[in-house]
Amino acid sequence: METTRLQQKQQTRQKILAAAYRVYAQKGFSAPTAAIAKEAGVSHGSIFAHFASQAQLVEALLEQFGTQLGAGLHDLAENNADLQGLLRAHLALLARHEQFYLHLITEKGQLPPQAKLTFANLQSVAAYHFGRVLQHTAAAQNGVPPYMLFNTWMGLVHYYLMNKELFSPDAPLLPRYTDELVHTFLTLAQIGEEQK
Amino acid sequence: MKTCIACGMPMQKPADFAGGDMTKDYCIYCARPDGTMQSFAEKRAGMIRFLQETQGMEKAAAAEIAEASMRKLPAWQAQFRKGAAADGDAE
Repeated sequence: METTRLQQKQQTRQKILAAAYRVYAQKGFSAPTAAIAKEAGVSHGSIFAHFASQAQLVEALLEQFGTQLGAGLHDLAENNADLQGLLRAHLALLARHEQFYLHLITEKGQLPPQAKLTFANLQSVAAYHFGRVLQHTAAAQNGVPPYMLFNTWMGLVHYYLMNKELFSPDAPLLPRYTDELVHTFLTLAQIGEEQK
Repeated sequence: MKTCIACGMPMQKPADFAGGDMTKDYCIYCARPDGTMQSFAEKRAGMIRFLQETQGMEKAAAAEIAEASMRKLPAWQAQFRKGAAADGDAE
């Protein structure tokens, strides 16, 4: 009996987290908890039976999101040895969470400290795997530090995401721009290769 | 799937584990050459260096993130209870 009650409690918690993910992806992190309760099909009070505050709900959600996306990044790096494969796989992974990720990068300054940490951890996982491949590019061989190459890639991706209304107002941005972003970065990273 | 108790890295294949030993709770990157796990100060310094090298972070920002990450990991709970993070810079 006790186990069943515990399982139900766990299921409701997961239901609230899944609903919070959908609501925040759609409306951003300022969406009210009442909207999350409605999406989850639970009473408003039920949210606070599982999370002491909205900040705690956001922290739990971001921790779960960070763990999942981090594991995804780790997997894709294991299976993509070359730079092009890694860039494409990175964008495909982010594309699965495009709306949520966009709100995370644009609103993280207003979020609990956990958001900053989640973002930093995700960047660290990606930076580590990218670094292993980027060090072999012509740009790195010509003295561009691997961190600058990684930051250039992230800057490019985030610039397009953060200005989505200019580049792809009515449709997901990453699937639409993957070819162009990957081609551009590969070209930049390989500049100087012919002269060697 | 196991995750490293000292840095949080997922460990799936033998090469991910310290010494290739899948019974270990820490990864190859958290092991010293003799196979033992790095100390708190060693890991903290290594994480700061890693953040600077791979993302170009300023040292104080890297230290803040390294400590926030370590605070959540099982290997370092005792050190944080003792307030060891503050001593890390001295080592």
